[in-house]
Amino acid sequence: MNSAELLQFVASGLQNGAVYALVALGFTLVYASTGIINFAQGEFFMLGGMLAVAGVRAGLPLPFAALASVVLTASIGLLFERVALRPRRDSGPTVLIIITIGGSMVMKSLARHAFGPNELSLPPFSPGVPIVFAGASIDRQVLWIWGLTIVAVVALTFLYSKTKLGRAMRACSLSHDAARLMGIDTARVVMISFGLAAALGALGGVAVAPLTQTAFDVGSRAGLKGFAAAILGGLGNPIAAVVGGLVLGLLESLSVAFISSTYKDAISLVVLLAVLFLRPQGLLGKSRREKV
Amino acid sequence: MKGQLKALLATVLILALCTFSLAGCAKGDGGAAGSGTGDSQAKDPYIVGAVLSLTGSYAGLGAPEQNAIEMEVARINEAGGIKGHPLKVIYEDDGTDPAKAVAATARLIDQENVIAIIGATGTGQSMGMRTEVDRAALPQVSVAGGTVITSDFDPLVFQTPWSNSLVVPYTMAYLKKQGITKIAIVTDTGGFGADGQAVLKAQAPKAGITITTAQTFNPGDTDMTSQLTKVKGTDSQAVVMWTAGKEAAIVAKNMLQLGMKVPLYGSHGNARTEFVEGAGAAAEGFHFAAGKILVPESYGEGTPAYEVATDFVKRYTAAYGKAPDTFAGHAYDAVNLIASAMGRLDEGFTSEELRAEIEKTSGFVGIGGTFTFSATDHNGLSAGDLVMYRVENGNWIVEK
Repeated sequence: MNSAELLQFVASGLQNGAVYALVALGFTLVYASTGIINFAQGEFFMLGGMLAVAGVRAGLPLPFAALASVVLTASIGLLFERVALRPRRDSGPTVLIIITIGGSMVMKSLARHAFGPNELSLPPFSPGVPIVFAGASIDRQVLWIWGLTIVAVVALTFLYSKTKLGRAMRACSLSHDAARLMGIDTARVVMISFGLAAALGALGGVAVAPLTQTAFDVGSRAGLKGFAAAILGGLGNPIAAVVGGLVLGLLESLSVAFISSTYKDAISLVVLLAVLFLRPQGLLGKSRREKV
Repeated sequence: MKGQLKALLATVLILALCTFSLAGCAKGDGGAAGSGTGDSQAKDPYIVGAVLSLTGSYAGLGAPEQNAIEMEVARINEAGGIKGHPLKVIYEDDGTDPAKAVAATARLIDQENVIAIIGATGTGQSMGMRTEVDRAALPQVSVAGGTVITSDFDPLVFQTPWSNSLVVPYTMAYLKKQGITKIAIVTDTGGFGADGQAVLKAQAPKAGITITTAQTFNPGDTDMTSQLTKVKGTDSQAVVMWTAGKEAAIVAKNMLQLGMKVPLYGSHGNARTEFVEGAGAAAEGFHFAAGKILVPESYGEGTPAYEVATDFVKRYTAAYGKAPDTFAGHAYDAVNLIASAMGRLDEGFTSEELRAEIEKTSGFVGIGGTFTFSATDHNGLSAGDLVMYRVENGNWIVEK
């Protein structure tokens, strides 16, 4: 294998990895503020792509359709939290997790009815021939995916560390009761984190649709990969989610390069399990030793 | 705290497994939606079950199949049914999941008392249903393209699409004619792709073709540049792809992205407008072998097959606003093969008599071609029913 081929494998891994990362960020955000895994996260990814296609088909210019789809999906995320989860928020995490699974099935079925069973295409953000870099060729859309992922991570890190809302979110992740006693409106924080998670999922869905087409059923796989990435990196921290996503993408791609394309998913899952045995908190997760 | 964390992770892993099995679980539009039952007729309806993938990754195939069956059932019943008996088809959605196809078949047999079964859409699902079909000993007409459905012979099971064992040698003969002797194959790990890979590997030596590398991808994968980079590192003269999923468009696009100059050949699984739309410029020059329905003129104008096909295209387009694809054609053939066998039998026939009568089908002019079944051939088609297509300016052109 020459260096150009190796670089191509790495580029391919980072491309998939960035998409996994965007979905993983959504898992992480919701987990940080509620302590639950939102299994509807993959459906936000699906909605992002599908609503953007619907927008383009309705005659909206592409950038506007993409933006509208992210905003709309974020509103769906807010609504989902308000309508489906908040009324049962005192029921414990298991009930809430099951509600998110139910929510994902509802969203998927509705999308199947609204948009039909077939795959739909979204035009590329900036059409043109692929960019060749040291022998590896990279689709222009991949640069968009990378760019949007970086913007999302920087914005989230800023939000977490520098804003009042971010501090409120971190407080909620440590203890809801304490946060509430400190005067933080925890219900609002949870709802906003669902909205943001939905927006991130949608961003991934919109960015990848021009490369892969989209369909009503892409959410399950996206959710599963994003979830694996979030666990691999360590739940609760945006940088860890991104690292998890990229590592997972690279693992898959390098499995194809050096072992076999047939077993790439199995290999990446075995590595995921191994990491969990050795470091249950994930690659970058802090082991949870809370001070009392 | 550590124990709690472990408990959480365990829950989370179990849930992850649940979502695996839930994938494609969402029920589609009422799978059991009835069809034209022809209430005015006094005689009991003949009830046939149809197990189709209305959701999941083959949803794009199952929907036109259901359309075609509904249209044909309505036509048959408007014309007075089968010797006065209305035909009734009960639909079940298998969610592109073999396990659900088995459950759906059991339900159709035990609760609906069906006399024959159409389906499934996918090869894995069709094979999964077999134990139930054998248990009830009723005829199954599959609309899936895997060779294994009829090569792993079961007297009860028929198949309407061109099987891979028909299409692979046809494609290889065409490659050979183009002077291509070294190919790389890229297949999906689902039933159709796995079957295609096995047949390709078995047929290649007979055709004098060498397979340089065999790459696979999973249904749902979103990027195949890794596999294609492996292909690029070989001296293959063409890439042959065997998949019926939406990933086909990604393979075509990734080849263009990597600047690969070798031609891409597909299969009858790619005879969908969504592929051409999805791959865009990357679809140009794409070759695939399929039946003649995509360009009805290739049946030969004025022939009975041409009349049947143009009539079907006209009625389907009027009913659903778009031309039928090959999958609609397979379902048309399945329902009409069953209905015509029923029409040849006296009233009160049994499942076994129906099976034997379907097997006697000879020279039935359908959409997939002209069917002649025998006690050893339950596919009934021949290479003469295939043509090679090429994509040009986003349209299908018949390659001479």
